[in-house]
Amino acid sequence: MLLPRFDYYEPATLEEALRLLSEMGGNARVIAGGTDLLVRMKLKVEKPGYLISLRKIPGLDAIVRRENHGVTIGPAVTAAELSRNELLLDRFTPIALAAGRLGAPVVRNRATIGGNLVNARPAADLPPACMVLDATLKLKSFSNEREIPVGEFFRGPGQTVIEPNELLVSIFAPIPAPWTGGAYIKLGARKALEISMVNVAVILTLQSPQGPIIDAKIALGAVAPTPVRAFAAEEFLIGRQPSDDVFAQAGVIGVGMCEPITDHRGTMEYRCLMIETLTSRALRQAYEKALTWKP
Amino acid sequence: MKKTIQLTINGQQVQAAVAPNQTLVQFLRDDLGLTGTKHGCGLGDCGACTVILDGRAVNSCLVLAIQADGCDVLTIEGLAEDGNLHPLQQAFVDKGAIQCGFCSPGMILSAKALLDEKPNPTELEIRTAISGNLCRCTGYQKIVEAINEAAEVIRDREES
Ligand SMILES: Cc1cc2nc3c(=O)[nH]c(=O)nc-3n(C[C@H](O)[C@H](O)[C@H](O)COP(=O)(O)OP(=O)(O)OC[C@H]3O[C@@H](n4cnc5c(N)ncnc54)[C@H](O)[C@@H]3O)c2cc1C
Ligand code: FES
Ligand code: FES
Repeated sequence: MLLPRFDYYEPATLEEALRLLSEMGGNARVIAGGTDLLVRMKLKVEKPGYLISLRKIPGLDAIVRRENHGVTIGPAVTAAELSRNELLLDRFTPIALAAGRLGAPVVRNRATIGGNLVNARPAADLPPACMVLDATLKLKSFSNEREIPVGEFFRGPGQTVIEPNELLVSIFAPIPAPWTGGAYIKLGARKALEISMVNVAVILTLQSPQGPIIDAKIALGAVAPTPVRAFAAEEFLIGRQPSDDVFAQAGVIGVGMCEPITDHRGTMEYRCLMIETLTSRALRQAYEKALTWKP
Repeated sequence: MKKTIQLTINGQQVQAAVAPNQTLVQFLRDDLGLTGTKHGCGLGDCGACTVILDGRAVNSCLVLAIQADGCDVLTIEGLAEDGNLHPLQQAFVDKGAIQCGFCSPGMILSAKALLDEKPNPTELEIRTAISGNLCRCTGYQKIVEAINEAAEVIRDREES
């Protein structure tokens, strides 16, 4: 498997990277971990003339706590780092758990959150996790800057709103309210190195340990062309007392949001059953995590 | 156009000119003759090409040689010391964790990255650490046992 020819740039500043991107436009690709891009280039799906590496740009690989209001994650932070970050494990649990399920350690050590989001595979692990955490993506070009809620970022398999001259420069997630817990469950045919058949990320907020549920967010991956929020199931949960029965009903409603396909990884019917089961299981886990919430 | 890179490979400084589209595994095998690193699928699926890059196990078929500029690379050739096999290598031999051997360099380096971080891993941690490395011969059980044994040997050695 050989790579086609290209020119390679390693800009030392963000400005330089943005200038290169604006000059080269559609013929250039950003390379972060390369675990998607190099595979696609070897398979001749993509043949960019220029690669622009993020490696030398300072700060893009940092996870920074923003006082009491949130966290900023650089696009070049690897899945391995996300999965062992204490702040993310505690407060932004779905991101840390999803990162820990992406590929295998040899992949996680290279794969970045920016690459995972921009790549926009329907079965990708981090998009649903970012969606339930209400993340905002900052996109920057040489002359412009804009912020997009992650829920409006994906357009279809492999498609996002990002322009060829734009760089994803940071991911911001607000800190969830007190008594919030999160969970992430991924179902594949084997434990590692497997793209999901179904994945579900969940955030649940209680008014107090005694309930009721005052906020719920559920996002499902691999069940439609883009990851989707199960809004009807979320609305159903709000105001109710948490219980296995309520979580099971939310799972049934969640299936209604999906248009799963039949392929070699599983049939449509099997996927629907799994969405239902995994949604209620993830809600239960998020509830248990919420009960352990500490200031 | 070729670019000059400088990196440390198995403790030695190396300077070389590489083409941008050369992967690290190609550079190691074709330019440096370090053929202990295997080239299997080329797509990140098999782990035969695993090396340790700045302390972390990675698939060297999905790293450009140019991206390793300034980095520290450890390959299977760098494990033995003074002609003595590393405890992981010895345990793989002793436990019958090697059959055809194609997966072994990658397995051993994934295991080394694990033991460097967690000297006393659980079986689940061992299995997770090698989950990106495929073996078509051994059925994994002997590999897991070998890593476990090597961990013990290394811990004993460090205590004494
Ligand atoms: C064996 C194997 C197993 C895998 N398993 C999984 C899995 O289980 N789950 C999963 O979700 N994925 C999986 N993947 C896919 C891949 O590893 C992830 O999507 C990874 O997060 C991509 O990140 P990267 O840094 O390697 O991206 P790259 O390959 O560097 O980039 C991917 C795309 O994003 C663009 N890009 C990257 N960063 C930016 C940025 N900051 N701004 C603008 N554009 C950018 C690139 O131009 C490119 O188009 C797997 C891949 C392999 C090879
Ligand atoms: S050759 Fe690199 S993972 Fe198979
Ligand atoms: S020993 Fe043959 S592939 Fe593992």
